[in-house]
Amino acid sequence: MKINLNISPGERIRAHYLFFIIIGIQIGVGILGAPRYIAEHAHQDSWISILIAYIGTLIITAIMFAILSRYENTDIFGIQHHIFGNFLGKFMGIVCILFFFIQLLTTLITYIEVVQIFLFPSMPTVVMTFLLLIPICYSILGGLRIVVGVVFLFSFLSFWIVVLIYDPITRMDVTHFLPMFEASLTDLLKGAKATTFTLLGFNILLYIYPFIDNKENAKKPVYLGLTFTGFVLLVSTIVSIGYFSPNDISIMSWPVLSLYKSVQFSFMERFDYIVIVEWMLVVLPTSILLMWAIVYGMERLFQVQQKASLLGSSILLLILCLFITTDLQIQKVTNFVGDIGFWFVFVYPVILFPLVLLKTKRKPLKEVQNEKDS
Amino acid sequence: MDKDIKFPLKVEELESYIKSKFENNSDEDLMFSIYHHQNKKIAVFGIRYLIDSNNLGSYLLSPLLERQTTWTADALLNELPFENGSSTNNLDDILDKIILGFVYLYIEDEQNVICYSLMQEEERSLDKSETESVIIGPQLSFTESLKTNLNVMRQILPTADLVIEKIMVGNAIPREVRIIYLKSVANKDDVNTMRQRIEEVDVEELEDSTTLSQYISDSTYSLFPQFYLTELPAHLAYTIKEGKIGVMVENSPNAFIGPSTFFSFFETTEDTYLEWLQATSLRILRLVSIPLALFLTPLYVAILTYRYELVPSDLIITIGQSRAGVPFPPIIEALLIELMIELLREAGARLPTKIGQTMGIVGGIVIGQASVDAGLTSNVLIIIVAASALASFTTPNYLIGTSFRVIRFPLIILAGLYGLIGLTFGVCLLVIHLLTTESLGRPYLAPLYPLRLQDFKRVFFRVPPSHNYRRASMYRPRQHKRYSKQDASKIRNIKK
Repeated sequence: MKINLNISPGERIRAHYLFFIIIGIQIGVGILGAPRYIAEHAHQDSWISILIAYIGTLIITAIMFAILSRYENTDIFGIQHHIFGNFLGKFMGIVCILFFFIQLLTTLITYIEVVQIFLFPSMPTVVMTFLLLIPICYSILGGLRIVVGVVFLFSFLSFWIVVLIYDPITRMDVTHFLPMFEASLTDLLKGAKATTFTLLGFNILLYIYPFIDNKENAKKPVYLGLTFTGFVLLVSTIVSIGYFSPNDISIMSWPVLSLYKSVQFSFMERFDYIVIVEWMLVVLPTSILLMWAIVYGMERLFQVQQKASLLGSSILLLILCLFITTDLQIQKVTNFVGDIGFWFVFVYPVILFPLVLLKTKRKPLKEVQNEKDS
Repeated sequence: MDKDIKFPLKVEELESYIKSKFENNSDEDLMFSIYHHQNKKIAVFGIRYLIDSNNLGSYLLSPLLERQTTWTADALLNELPFENGSSTNNLDDILDKIILGFVYLYIEDEQNVICYSLMQEEERSLDKSETESVIIGPQLSFTESLKTNLNVMRQILPTADLVIEKIMVGNAIPREVRIIYLKSVANKDDVNTMRQRIEEVDVEELEDSTTLSQYISDSTYSLFPQFYLTELPAHLAYTIKEGKIGVMVENSPNAFIGPSTFFSFFETTEDTYLEWLQATSLRILRLVSIPLALFLTPLYVAILTYRYELVPSDLIITIGQSRAGVPFPPIIEALLIELMIELLREAGARLPTKIGQTMGIVGGIVIGQASVDAGLTSNVLIIIVAASALASFTTPNYLIGTSFRVIRFPLIILAGLYGLIGLTFGVCLLVIHLLTTESLGRPYLAPLYPLRLQDFKRVFFRVPPSHNYRRASMYRPRQHKRYSKQDASKIRNIKK
């Protein structure tokens, strides 16, 4: 396997799209229920937990950039191959792909559950899964540029939802945040860990990095994207706590959705329905990017044809979506992804970084760049 | 072909040969006259109805027969007052050209036969545009004659920079195709792509420019037209100046333009004639009408079938009252009325203009009012369908309007089946489809994706001339600058 990749100019994407890629993959179904999980631990001080988690993502991203900068033009598969050797490298690659697969599965089943509970109790799961999988497959068949285009345009088409939150903001009760700084440090950290599921996905950087055209400008959009996600999460949590109360939201499944119930215009009301429908435009970019990473990983590791792995994983997802339908099962999978994700996304790069440093120090960098294992 | 017939030959041999080739055609069609001049036989032949007989008599036959000395082939070429004479000794050539209106002269026992084009071209005169209507600005539209069309284009763009390439397409019945662009502006790759695609078209015959655009389009499975079809020379000139490439085909009153983007179908030349503020407003109106045309009826179906809570109670009472007597679910109701509108439209397009107008009014009023009275549809739906039909008429280009008509029906059905989720699914597919579409290998959704904010002021808005000094960069023109910004911002008052 080649460690460094040669990407033809036609396949490359401009660095500023990284902003949309990061927010596209981070903001997904997680944010709808996030305030509840955070408030369970940190109560009215949840905003501190979010700030901690946000700073965490910044640090991890800096580490990822540092890892990537030791190589000429590679992705996580190349790095793992270089560090762990052929067999273990491939094994770690499979783990990466599997993790993305479970994350994708969680995204799909959670969204299907939300739709079925709020909007369409009679909607069969098969149909709903098809409605999600068809756009995913269609855009992936178009290649990375189309994937990025979808992510970019869909983010734009769903930005306006954020504006509607002005209505709950005007009805917030500030006393819900008092007394401040009550939560202990462990509670705050637990709250921060509870955001993991929402913030997951920014490790897509390790996969998409070789395709970036102007790498020298890559850092700014990534950090801005992380900031945007952090900001959205912060606002929605603060408004949820202020509008309901820390105790109320811990018994609500999707507090952010309920926020939109009160938004009203003379031609339309019940914006929670609109948000659920519009959330498809938020869920799809996440799913498309995850699916792209899976398909790309399979191609890179085992030279599997894109269409084959796309079809295979779609069928597998369809079957799994049909079986995991109860709320309890979905909760379990979500918690599982949250737990594993914490180790995988937040801890793994920290472990990988010294290894990369050691390995690239022993050999001069140039040799690493030109080395071709097979 | 008879191999043994070769020049020089006797006039009688030539006559029998040519006549044998036109065996089943009427004798009157083929003109084959033999004149005796200075003891030499001269044959003059051609196809009668293709030849301009006035020119033949006064400029060819009279000098030919009045000359005192004997003719030779060279003398014929040099002394007859025509600019397009040529000589050949190949019998195949004669057949190829005789059907194009050439007149042949042959002096017995000479090596070569001489021909002149005396084609009498029949064409309709230049007229006002019918399908693309213009309020201000040039009204002229193309005709079926390529020669006239090229003449018009050269008049509009009188610069040596304008290149008009010629390619013949069609193996059995060749047809002339012209690629037209500005050498210093158009992107070289795009020109090469266009030329190569047209050269590689391998068909027996070519009906029209629209057919050619289908043969060379990037994806034939696309819902959207990938080339802008226009019959306005002014529009073609406008886009050529922008750096695009036009293609014209003999016998077709339409030229097509590539690379085209989705949003270029909403530009008209009129936008440039208007003040920038008015032009911007109109253009935004046209862009807003896209979602109106596509999503208004599906939204009605989706909301009223599944989620009428979305509509505030005052409004739902109004809608409910008007729907109270309707026996169908919203989807049947909507499909019924949409179908009516489409029928009206299609019938109006097929009928002669005068009857078409009357039928439109009668059909619209009668069908609309009567179906409400009969309790088949609700008033609100009539308003919605009419509004979306109006919105789809605002597109300046017929092709993209047709695309919208086609797309609307699946969207209504999706909305009827799965409500708002189904509709969103449709929108997602549509957006992804637009993203995957390309025109001449250039992205169709530019300047939205790939994002080029600079181009927004040429695509979505019009800006004052002092800011409008650059061409849209999404077409990768060779020259970005149109004029100097400083000069344009100067106010020129005559000082006393």
